[in-house]
Amino acid sequence: MQIDPSYELIGARNVRVEIGGKLILDEINLKIGVGERVAIVGANGAGKTSLLRALSGTLPVASGEVILCTEPLSGLSRATIARSIAVVGADLVLPFATRADELVALGRLPHGRGPSGPTAHDRERAAAALERVGASHLAARDVRTLSAGEKQLIAIALGLAQETPILALDEPTVHLDLKHRVEIADLLVSLADRARTVVAIFHEIDMVRQLFPRVILMKSGRIVADGSPESVLTVARIAYAWGIPPERASRL
Amino acid sequence: MTSPRLLVGGALLLSGVAVLAIGFGSVAIAPGDVISILARQLFGVDVPPFIQSAGATSIVMELRLPRILAAILVGAALAVAGGAFQSLLRNPLADPYVLGTSSGAALGAAIAILLPIGCVAWELGGVQLAAFIGALASVGLVWRVAGIGSGEERIASVLLVGYAVASLLAAALSLVMLASGANLRAIFSFLLGGLDGATWPRLAAAALPLIAATALLALRGRALAGFLLGDEAAQHLGVDVRRERRIAVALASLATAAAVALAGLIGFVGLVVPHLARLAVGPDPRAVLPLSAIGGALLLLLADTIARSIGVPVGVITALIGAPFLLWLLHRARTGYAL
Repeated sequence: MQIDPSYELIGARNVRVEIGGKLILDEINLKIGVGERVAIVGANGAGKTSLLRALSGTLPVASGEVILCTEPLSGLSRATIARSIAVVGADLVLPFATRADELVALGRLPHGRGPSGPTAHDRERAAAALERVGASHLAARDVRTLSAGEKQLIAIALGLAQETPILALDEPTVHLDLKHRVEIADLLVSLADRARTVVAIFHEIDMVRQLFPRVILMKSGRIVADGSPESVLTVARIAYAWGIPPERASRL
Repeated sequence: MTSPRLLVGGALLLSGVAVLAIGFGSVAIAPGDVISILARQLFGVDVPPFIQSAGATSIVMELRLPRILAAILVGAALAVAGGAFQSLLRNPLADPYVLGTSSGAALGAAIAILLPIGCVAWELGGVQLAAFIGALASVGLVWRVAGIGSGEERIASVLLVGYAVASLLAAALSLVMLASGANLRAIFSFLLGGLDGATWPRLAAAALPLIAATALLALRGRALAGFLLGDEAAQHLGVDVRRERRIAVALASLATAAAVALAGLIGFVGLVVPHLARLAVGPDPRAVLPLSAIGGALLLLLADTIARSIGVPVGVITALIGAPFLLWLLHRARTGYAL
């Protein structure tokens, strides 16, 4: 399938977000195209999660415009948005015993209608998503009994089952040990292709340098820098964005 | 998949139990006779054994059938409302009784019954309306105080607020009924629930909201499924969270209100049945809610038949069955799995 490289999958034009009169995001301008792999980095409270929420329409913008798949997000229904962008949250807390395959099948919700389901096709897509993340052996397990790393795999499979052109992840490697961090990071690299764009909030600067061709650095609700890891993650910018002394930042 | 098969099997089992329950009582009527009478009276079809004494026909049609239908409809409504509340609040311990919705409905219904226009109110569905208003008001209070939808709700606080509201409204209900000169037995039977008052006119007044709200709610599983992962994730799965929450709360309140106006405060059906359904078909409300409707009908029908035979309010029986089950669930949750 031929995809126009100028196709604007995600866009933000002068986006400003306020919560209770407090400025959360300001002057956000960005454009993400098909097949890109983008990391969003910054200190706690820099607005990374808020940016993901604004881009996926769960945080209303005060002014400016968000574009999703070339269309203004404000005019799209929730179901349409959910068929365009899948957002994998930071943690998975479930109120009831839930098998991993049952959970992943919920990713098919935006693709169906009516009271029945999940259909045989939904189950098939869920099984394929589980296989894609290498978690087929966990299908019959209660998600609540899984380790943090296994839960993260299931959460990513849930996002994959949505079959969206964009996969967004909020700190997919947080709380994980080194082995699982590497696994998840490698998986994200393999998932990004011409059919799927990956946008992820990351904390590990070294991992971002290795794995993401594009980095967006945030501080105090604004985008400070946007470009290749070499150009964005300079000592001076790291020192500025995280508020650490430059001589210390140079050793990161 | 297993869910449709379970539904059909459950419906058949329910029909069988209903026939037995109709035959059961101080005047026993054989199942064959019950089927024969029902076929003749309801569908105009003659089915063997054709023995239809006027006495048996009148017992079946006037005394027992409305009560059995009421048990089925009320049980289904409470179980579906409970399952919906549990999914919506992501809380395994939520149900209309625990959250105070039933008490709100009961207070509304009691006020309507005790107003001077009492009898007329029944005929015109005024009791149903008052119960619905009471249910909505108590849900609104619990929602507001517990901060549901603000993103800061806590499971324990929802239950505590529900408990406080339920206790307050039950006390107000007792006061209202005492002040109006109702005898203690009447108050008691309302607080503990009972289907003694399920006559045809009352059933007719309750049937439309009961059936409509229960069926519409049972069919909204797709939207409720998204809530299993939380409000934010539900939005990411394409659910219009504010809209769907309002619809589900309104339908659950209406189902509860209609059930309470007909049968008083019956606990545990809404709490226990959805968990049994989840054990069978997993947590997806698209499967849980329809199965809960059948299960709730079955449970309340059985409980009411036992209650009839020993002459106690049906709420006593559902509590005797439900409370130990709840303890077992909590024990299992503590030891690692389930709920």
